[in-house]
Amino acid sequence: MAGPPKKRQKRDDIKQEGQMPQKKFYRQRAHANPFSDHDLKYPASPAAMDWSQHYPAFAATVPAGVPNDDPIATPDHDKQNHLQPISKQVQVADIGCGFGGLLFALAPKMPETLILGLEIRTSVTEFVQEKAKALRVQHASTGLYQNVSCIRANTMKFLPNFFVKGQLSKIFLCFPDPHFKARKHKARIVSTTLNSEYAFVMKPGGKVYTITDVEDLHVWMAEHFAAHPSFERVGEEELEGDECVGTMRTETEEGKKVERNSGTKYVVVFRRLEDPPWP
Amino acid sequence: MRRGDATELPRDDQVGDEERPKKKQKTAPQVKPANIIKLAVSPNQQHAVAVTDDKHVRVFSLFDGNLVELSQRCMPKRPCAIQVLPENTTIICGDKFGDVYSLPLLPETATEVDTEPGAAKDTAPEADTGKPAFKPSATNLTVHTQRNRKALEAQMQQKAFSAKKEALQFEHKLLLGHVSMLTDVAYATRKVDGRERGYILTADRDEHIRISRGPPQSHVIEGYCLGHKEFVSKLCLVPGMNLLISGGGENELYVWEWPSCTLKRTIPLYDAMLSMQVPGSKESYRAYSKDGVQIPSGSGKNLAISGLWTVPCQVAGDKKETVLMVAVERMPGLYIMPTNWLPLTSGEELGLTLLDLEYPPLDVACTADSVIVSLDAREEGQARVRAYQLRHAEGQKQVWRVECTRDEEFEKKLQCANTRSVADTGVGAKALDDLLYGVANLRKRRGWGDSGKAGDDELEGGAGMEDAPED
Ligand SMILES: C[S@@+](CC[C@H](N)C(=O)[O-])C[C@H]1O[C@@H](n2cnc3c(N)ncnc32)[C@H](O)[C@@H]1O
Repeated sequence: MAGPPKKRQKRDDIKQEGQMPQKKFYRQRAHANPFSDHDLKYPASPAAMDWSQHYPAFAATVPAGVPNDDPIATPDHDKQNHLQPISKQVQVADIGCGFGGLLFALAPKMPETLILGLEIRTSVTEFVQEKAKALRVQHASTGLYQNVSCIRANTMKFLPNFFVKGQLSKIFLCFPDPHFKARKHKARIVSTTLNSEYAFVMKPGGKVYTITDVEDLHVWMAEHFAAHPSFERVGEEELEGDECVGTMRTETEEGKKVERNSGTKYVVVFRRLEDPPWP
Repeated sequence: MRRGDATELPRDDQVGDEERPKKKQKTAPQVKPANIIKLAVSPNQQHAVAVTDDKHVRVFSLFDGNLVELSQRCMPKRPCAIQVLPENTTIICGDKFGDVYSLPLLPETATEVDTEPGAAKDTAPEADTGKPAFKPSATNLTVHTQRNRKALEAQMQQKAFSAKKEALQFEHKLLLGHVSMLTDVAYATRKVDGRERGYILTADRDEHIRISRGPPQSHVIEGYCLGHKEFVSKLCLVPGMNLLISGGGENELYVWEWPSCTLKRTIPLYDAMLSMQVPGSKESYRAYSKDGVQIPSGSGKNLAISGLWTVPCQVAGDKKETVLMVAVERMPGLYIMPTNWLPLTSGEELGLTLLDLEYPPLDVACTADSVIVSLDAREEGQARVRAYQLRHAEGQKQVWRVECTRDEEFEKKLQCANTRSVADTGVGAKALDDLLYGVANLRKRRGWGDSGKAGDDELEGGAGMEDAPED
C-alpha cells in the first residue's frame, strides 16, 4: 500500500529509534487524483476517530467504566468501539502538508495546541509520521513535538469525518497544487462549495492562511474566499503581527524552494465570521 | 401524483401517452429519444419537471390532464435529483458531480439571460456576480518550483489550455457542492420559534449526509449525519416528524433525527428480504438461498436500496397514517412499515410487511388513497403498473402488519400504460438493465490500492513524475 517494496525495505533497514527519516525514501508521484476512491482509511465520523494514537502524550486517563455512549460512534452492533479519549481536540490543520516543514516549525511555538497535517500521498504522510516520532524521542526531556501528527486523508472529500463543527481555529493551505487548466479547476483545494466545508469545521474568529507562488492561484483563492459569505479578508496590518504568516513564508518546503529561486510569495488570510441569523 | 413525490419513470414505454414529453418539432429529428430519469411535480400540482438522460431539465404545465412542455434547460452535468420547493417557484437540482443548483421553475425568456461570455459562473454560492475571466497568469516567471513548472509545461502542451468555461445561458444559482457523486437531495422544513426554516439534505457516494440551510443561506452547513459504512443512495423524510430515513449499500436502513444529526436506530432488512418470493415460484429466497441460489440484488450478501417512499395508509374509518415503502434493487417486492413505529428506540423489534410483486418495482407514487407501483415487466401483456390500497388494521396480534389490496378500479385508469406495446423500443435487455439498475454500481471496490488504475487517469504534471529532488 505504501510505496514500492524496495523503498520500504530501505526505510526499515535504516530506521532506528529517534533517527530522522530520509526524504529520498519517501518520495512519491507528485499528484494524486482527489476525485478517485483510493484506498483511504477514515473514520465514519469524528467520534469514531482514535486520536490517542496520534497524540499519546495527550491521552486522557478516564476512570474505567465510563461508557462511550455516543450513538454515532456506536450504532447498535459495534458497541465494542471503545476509544481512548484525549484531553484536547486538534485545533490547527495543515491541509496538503507535504513533508511537514510548517508542522514541525509550528509545533514548538504552540506546544499546548494539537496540530495535524493532512496529506493525500501515503509515503509523504509516513515520512511526516516518522519524523514526528523521531523528534519526540530526541526531545523527550522537553516533551516537545508531542502535539504534532499527520494522517493520510483526501480533505476534499473527508474533512467532516475528522473534525466536528467549529473545531478548528487555524487552517493552512500552503502552496496548493495549482491545477492550471480551467477544466481542472474543480480539483483546486479552494472553491466556493469547498469553502463552506472549511467554514463548517472552523470556529468563528478562526483563520484560513493561504500562500502560493502562482499569481493566478493566489487571485483565485482570494476571490473565492472573499466571495464566500462566511469569510472576511484579514487586513495587512494584522498580518504583520501574526507569527504564523512569517512561519508559513519561511518554513514550508515549497516556501524555501521559492525563496531559493527568489520568487514572489502571495499571502492572503481570511477570518471565519459568525453564521448569519436565520432569515 | 400527490405532493411533489419524485417519481422515476425511467422507461419511455412505461409512461402513459399523456405523460410523454412532447417531441420538439422544431429541432432536427432525434435519433434516440431521451429517457426520463427523474420526475417531480410541484406541490401545487400545476407543473411537472422531468430530467431526461440528455441532461435536460424539462418543465411541463399540467392542465386539464394535458402536459405542455414550457421549457428545457441543459445542465452542465447529469442531474441526479430534482425537486420543486414548497413555494412552487424554484427547482433545486443536484448533479452527478456533487453540485446543487437552484433554477426558477419558469425561466424568464428561456435564452436571453445576460451572462458575460467566459465568465466563470462558479462564484460564491448564491452570489450571482460574474467573475473576471480566467487569465493564465502563471508564466515561467511566476512558477518557481520544479514541481509547478513541470505541471505547467505539461498542461501548456495540451491545447485545451483554455480560459473558457461554458456558462449556462439561463438563470441559476450554485447552492452547495460535494466533492463526490451526489445521489439524492431532499428539502426539509421545520418550525423554530414560530418561524419556518428550510434545509437542503444531500447524500453522496462517500457515505455522507449533509444538512445545509435552505436558500438564501445554503452556504451554511448545519451538520452531517455520519455513520453509513457504504454509499448512501436514498433519503426519505417522514412527514410530521423530524425523522430522516436513509439507505444505500448496506443491509439496513438508518433512522436519523436530522435536526440534531443523531442516529436513532437502524432497521435490518436482509432477513426480511429472504422471505420475498422468487418470481414464478411459490418459494422464498430463503428456501433458494439454502441451495446456493444468489439473491439477485447487487453483489453477494449486500443489498442496494433503490427506493424509499412515504405513502398514505388507511387506519380505522377515515383515519390515515403514513407508511414507509422500501425497494431493494432488483428484488421483486416492497417492504412496508408504519412510520409511527420509527421513533421506537433501538432493540425494539420492528415488524416489516412484505408486498410480493411479480417484477422488481421501479417507482412508487400515490394519490390520496392509492399507491401506484411501476414494475420492470418487459414482455408484452405483462402488467407494468399496479395500484394498491393499504390498510393498517390496528388491534391485531401483529400490530405492525399492513394489508395491501389491489385497487382494480384505479388500475383500469392506468390500463393504457399496461397495454402500450413495448415492441418498438428497440432497446436491448442489457441497455435496459444499465438504465434501470445503477445503484449497486455505486459500491466502492475496496482494497485496490492507490497505485491501481483508479487514481491514474487524471494525473497532472506527467505520470510518474516524482517530487523534484531539489533539496
Ligand atoms: C505543492 S504541495 C505543498 C506541500 C506543503 N504544504 C508545502 O508548502 O511545502 C501540495 C500537497 O498537497 C497534497 N494534496 C493535494 N490534494 C490533496 C487532498 N485532496 N487532500 C490532502 N492533500 C492533498 C499533495 O499531495 C501535496 O503534497
